[in-house]
Amino acid sequence: MAAGFKTVEPLEYYRRFLKENCRPDGRELGEFRTTTVNIGSISTADGSALVKLGNTTVICGIKAEFAAPPLDAPDRGYVVFLSVPNVDLPPLCSSRFRTGPPGEEAQVTSQFIADVLENSQIIKKEDLCISPGKLAWVLYCDLICLDYDGNILDACTFALLAALKNVQLPEVTINEETALAEVNLKKKSYLNVRTNPVATSFAVFDDTLLIVDPTGEEEHLSTGTLTIVMDEEGKLCSLHKPGGSGLTGAKLQDCMSRAVSRHKEVNKLLDEVIQSMKHK
Amino acid sequence: MPGDHRRIRGPEESQPPQLYAADEDELPAARDPTRLRPVYARAGLLSQAKGSAYLEAGGTKVLCAVSGPRQAEGGERGGGPAGAGGEAPAALRGRLLCDFRRAPFSGPRRRAPQGGGEERELSLALQEALEPAVRLGRYPRAQLEVSALLLEDGGSALAAALTAAALALADAGVEMYDLVVGCGLSLAPGPSPTWLLDPTRLEEEHSAAGLTVALMPVLNQVAGLLGSGEGGQTESWTDAVRLGLEGCQRLYPVLQQCLVRAARRRGAAAPS
Repeated sequence: MAAGFKTVEPLEYYRRFLKENCRPDGRELGEFRTTTVNIGSISTADGSALVKLGNTTVICGIKAEFAAPPLDAPDRGYVVFLSVPNVDLPPLCSSRFRTGPPGEEAQVTSQFIADVLENSQIIKKEDLCISPGKLAWVLYCDLICLDYDGNILDACTFALLAALKNVQLPEVTINEETALAEVNLKKKSYLNVRTNPVATSFAVFDDTLLIVDPTGEEEHLSTGTLTIVMDEEGKLCSLHKPGGSGLTGAKLQDCMSRAVSRHKEVNKLLDEVIQSMKHK
Repeated sequence: MPGDHRRIRGPEESQPPQLYAADEDELPAARDPTRLRPVYARAGLLSQAKGSAYLEAGGTKVLCAVSGPRQAEGGERGGGPAGAGGEAPAALRGRLLCDFRRAPFSGPRRRAPQGGGEERELSLALQEALEPAVRLGRYPRAQLEVSALLLEDGGSALAAALTAAALALADAGVEMYDLVVGCGLSLAPGPSPTWLLDPTRLEEEHSAAGLTVALMPVLNQVAGLLGSGEGGQTESWTDAVRLGLEGCQRLYPVLQQCLVRAARRRGAAAPS
């Protein structure tokens, strides 16, 4: 009977749960789904991470290559993010997506991730430069969503962060006589990841209620979404609110404090995983 | 990519560091030509797809999902004599749309997400190998979409994708005559060329010829065959095919177990 009601009146079905301050999957309004992260599983990539946020699964693989530095900034490298292009958000992850060039959602997500990385200064572009004006690293970060069940932005940011922490770049020296690069694949060093931006997404219901980490169904029924990216020490990195219902200042403050606590949770998880990798 | 404003662009060109590495080429180690790498298979792991399967064999990791049956695009086609067993006439039969994709980080060199002709060839090979196994006559005017994503290429990628696709179709509950099991082979060059079963990526790179066979184990019929290279005499190719078919038969019990486990999991999770 509940299943029938859910199909016919999904919003009413949800409202009844929200009135009791919980959700159909048993979570509280401020509770995240079980998060698991697995790093370094793809050996062909220079850094990789697989993040599962409940059912939502995103895999990030990073490949590092050489390129000439950009003309307008000869002492910097590139960090290029190709996040969730539709080709890589295949019908595999959800029946909403079709094969072909990246759709709107994929492009929006790509741009969001690019902005987060730019704003948080997670990697100093100067660190990626090998020889000013001649050679620099390009980090191609490809995120593929394997299972789309809502809250793709959080999963993508986390996957990217975990993968960047896993990247090992080989040592490069420039031979002065031949002016060519010499790469020592045996000697690798980790990237210097300076900050840990963590995203927290909220969905707005009926213009008033805020719930954290919406599933696919919840996103569909919501009247607005909000994503806050926090850095260490409670520094705000980025805020993404694409239209939808308005929010009061007080509600926004609540969201920010939830984002700060989420940042601690995620950091702890990531540290544990990295520690366990080092012990191998 | 010129004119591709949908993706964030990087530099025009880039080279992988391996080009500048001082290491010599690694040669593949000698091994038993009939050894199959241990396979890990799991079905029913994606929540949004009707059926899904993940297959890992050595370094090769493939994820496959099936969705549908959905209304076929492309309009009506004429009728004809009905097939056996109450199936739709040949022209109204369902279609199988396969899509094989490599992740950009799956190989030693990064590939652009826009796949080239090779991916289309492999997608077609997938479709041709899976069609004999699926009872398309039971899905008139419908289409089934199979998408395979190669997460890491450790050798025999097409074979792994074939097996994963068949498992995903079975997991989705699509009516099939039999599973399809794929096996890869490669010819190691040298004074006495030998065919190696289930090659690793290193062995494939150093090979003179490659072959992928797809077998329907219970019916003992070959569903697909794709090979190229300098294989030598015809006997050499027939030996290779025989070796491949044996390999497929050996893989079959693992896949059966995987599907049984998935069905049990599904039964346990379903609300009673």
